[in-house]
Amino acid sequence: MGPGADEIVLEARDLRKAFGGVRAVDGCSFVVPHGKISGLIGPNGSGKTTTFNLLTGLTTPDSGQVIYKKESLAGLKPYEIFRKGITRTFQITRIFRELTVLENMLSVTGLRVPDRVARERAAELIAFVNLGHLRAEYGGRLSYGQQKLLEFARALMTDPDLILLDEPAAGVNRTLLQQLLEHIHRLQEQGKTIVIVEHDMNVIMNHCDRIFVMDYGVKIAEGPPAEIQRDPRVLEAYFGRRRRPDDAGPTPGAPRMA
Amino acid sequence: MERSDVRSLYLLGAFLACAYALPFLVGAWAGTVRADAAWLGILTTVVVSGVMQGGVYAMFAVGLTLIFGVMRIINAAHGEMVMMGAYLTWVSFFYLGVDPLLSLALTLPVAFLFGVAVQKLLLNAAVGAPELTGLLITFGLGLTMIYTVELIFTTDFRTIPYAPGTIQLTSTIAVGRNRMISFAMAVVISLAVYLFLKLTRLGKAVRATALNAEVAMVCGINVRRIYLITTGLAAALAVAGGALVSIQFGFNPETGVVYTLQAFAIVILGGRGNYVGALVGGLMLGVLENLVSLMIPNGTAMVELAAYGLMIFVLLIRPGGLMGVKEG
Amino acid sequence: MTWREHLRNLALVALCGFALALLPSALSVYLRSFMLFTMMYVVLALSWNIISGFTGYTSFGHVAFYGIGAYVCAILVADYGWFWLYTLAVGAGVAALVGIAIGYPVLRLKGPYFAIAMLGAAEGTRVVVAVWDSLTHGGLGISLPSAETSMETYYAMLALMLLTIAVAYAVGHSRFGVRLNAIREDEGAAEALGINATLYKLAAFVLSAVFPAVAGGIQAYKVLYIDPPSVFFVQITIAMALMSMLGGKGTVIGPILGAVLLYTAQELTWVNFPTAHLIAYGLFIVLVARFMPRGLVGFAIDQGWVRKGMVH
Repeated sequence: MGPGADEIVLEARDLRKAFGGVRAVDGCSFVVPHGKISGLIGPNGSGKTTTFNLLTGLTTPDSGQVIYKKESLAGLKPYEIFRKGITRTFQITRIFRELTVLENMLSVTGLRVPDRVARERAAELIAFVNLGHLRAEYGGRLSYGQQKLLEFARALMTDPDLILLDEPAAGVNRTLLQQLLEHIHRLQEQGKTIVIVEHDMNVIMNHCDRIFVMDYGVKIAEGPPAEIQRDPRVLEAYFGRRRRPDDAGPTPGAPRMA
Repeated sequence: MERSDVRSLYLLGAFLACAYALPFLVGAWAGTVRADAAWLGILTTVVVSGVMQGGVYAMFAVGLTLIFGVMRIINAAHGEMVMMGAYLTWVSFFYLGVDPLLSLALTLPVAFLFGVAVQKLLLNAAVGAPELTGLLITFGLGLTMIYTVELIFTTDFRTIPYAPGTIQLTSTIAVGRNRMISFAMAVVISLAVYLFLKLTRLGKAVRATALNAEVAMVCGINVRRIYLITTGLAAALAVAGGALVSIQFGFNPETGVVYTLQAFAIVILGGRGNYVGALVGGLMLGVLENLVSLMIPNGTAMVELAAYGLMIFVLLIRPGGLMGVKEG
Repeated sequence: MTWREHLRNLALVALCGFALALLPSALSVYLRSFMLFTMMYVVLALSWNIISGFTGYTSFGHVAFYGIGAYVCAILVADYGWFWLYTLAVGAGVAALVGIAIGYPVLRLKGPYFAIAMLGAAEGTRVVVAVWDSLTHGGLGISLPSAETSMETYYAMLALMLLTIAVAYAVGHSRFGVRLNAIREDEGAAEALGINATLYKLAAFVLSAVFPAVAGGIQAYKVLYIDPPSVFFVQITIAMALMSMLGGKGTVIGPILGAVLLYTAQELTWVNFPTAHLIAYGLFIVLVARFMPRGLVGFAIDQGWVRKGMVH
């Protein structure tokens, strides 16, 4: 039996990653609940995408662990992590530009089904995101929004249990965004766990069950949307503190690590 | 630098130490090494000679490293440019009666313009394209140059008799006068270009573009113009290298091929786009080749292997070379 | 593509193969040689295309495998009296092993560095072969005993070509091929989709190494004398690359087309303009690379005459 509701599916334990002198992730820990939509937010440069990279094996942590379904993911390559049931999309879409939409879908491995079944599944997912009429077009010729949908559909080919979405709303118009969010909720109803990194607060606050807030590479707060909206630490992270004459704290707009 | 960056640098250093030790070890085993003063004198001469040769190698390599660094293009015709420099100098010497060093005043501007023309007509299309495009374009260019020269000059080896005799540096070390002059010229030219890159606005623009062309563009640098200048400069440097080679060694249309590979080895060793790296790499290769030639039996064939071996191992240990970023 | 289309393509290839098989007795020895070398270049271009066109790792030293195959055949036939056909299998095996040995470290390198490393590897192999004269006769080269009538080698090359076309076709139109293309497009994203890039690259590399080796062996048996500069000739790699680019890198028909067209053109030019033909060749390379990097098939796709993509 798989994990039930309220059980942990993914845990990040004291993750650290530095690039040269820059500590992108500096002791980040959190626990992602099964079957829920979680949001990961924080100001620019707080380490969200790096955290995603650590979770999916694109980057190896300097220290700390990632635990998925009670197994450590340490030392696993990205393709091995993928085969365990974790997929992700990227901040800037990374579809295969000179491959057709259908080929993009079929490039995914680990399906362990006959070719015919894989193609059916690809066709279903392409229809799911309304790209059926473009199945023979090069990925690079699609509009940005269409590319985002393609990347989204591609990530679902193996029917993964954990889906990490990096800024799915960026650069996407309202209608498309609504479609995406509907798909995401449908996936959750199917029992999948979803983590979304986003800057669009409407998306986060209205669609997430639980939110983690990062700043300077650590998690500074977590909880349901209502609590997070009122949390002073979160507000400070985003807007800075009101300056007082004897204050030695960071000024709003002070340069942050990029 | 990141930890893995530093680690790879130490590894590279260790490898280089082994590479230099190898000729001695093989020589000791094969009996070509003797531990007496006379042999040590030969060794010193050979090392000094290697440094001088390396200075000229550096001249070929700096042009290549600029092109590779600024535009990510592999110029497979670089050796042919050197070869053209040798022939141009030869023509000036035998037909115009101009001293080889003075002829640089003629050949360098011509080379610069040629480089600019090549960039504008051919290589601009290769910037940002997959590496095969630049490789094939330059290879085709090189081939055309070889066979055009062959048509005009035949495959006979040519030499320029210049500055004969030797100079006694110390009681035991004697170096050919032409080699000494070549090296001195190489130093002068390298220094001039170094100052250009370091101090002038244009030079700084070239370095900035080598680091990151997009950012350079955003900073207001006319990147297209930089490309033209880079290739022009690289061509001029290659031709200068050819002139310096022409007064030391014999050459024919096909000798450029080896120079291209040596230049690549140096560029890889020194680091893509790194001017000083190319200078240092040139000196290092010159010395290594001479050591190999002296101490390893079957030395002349092994000398080629030295360049390839050096190149491949540097690529495997630290593609960025001595002075680049780890990944290149 | 439906099974019917695959069958149709297969039938077409079989038909050509059949026609080519009937041909040699009707041709002069010169034309037979010409056909043989054309077929050889088809093999070379298709093989190069697997690692460089599909997978995007531009190998600038592929002639190394060709030379290895030539030398294995020559050594075994001349020095050990083997029957030449068996040496081809050994050549393929050696090339596969060398491919793994070189490929594993070198495929870690990116774009231009991989190309340069392969160039170094090829030149290095040439020097090693030249220096290791106890095994390879060094710079003297190896002379093979003359026995064949130019028919045997013709059929061998024909068989090799058909095999290579079959393999290239299978790779190109399969999900394996799609994944190689994915690695070319974005290796990181491919890894994130479960593709073990290291394994796939190595597989493609080894696959691209064995066919040139067999071709080299057949060629050695045909020309009866080889030495390091003739079989480790950098222009052979250039030819492979140019033919693939001319026809259309990353497709199956492209390298075939490019090889046939270019080799025929080369022969015609050489026959008619002996001195200038190399200059013309150099200029041709420049023009094709400058103005037609996507090749003929690329052009056809842009015009809509050919479908986009390889898997439908």
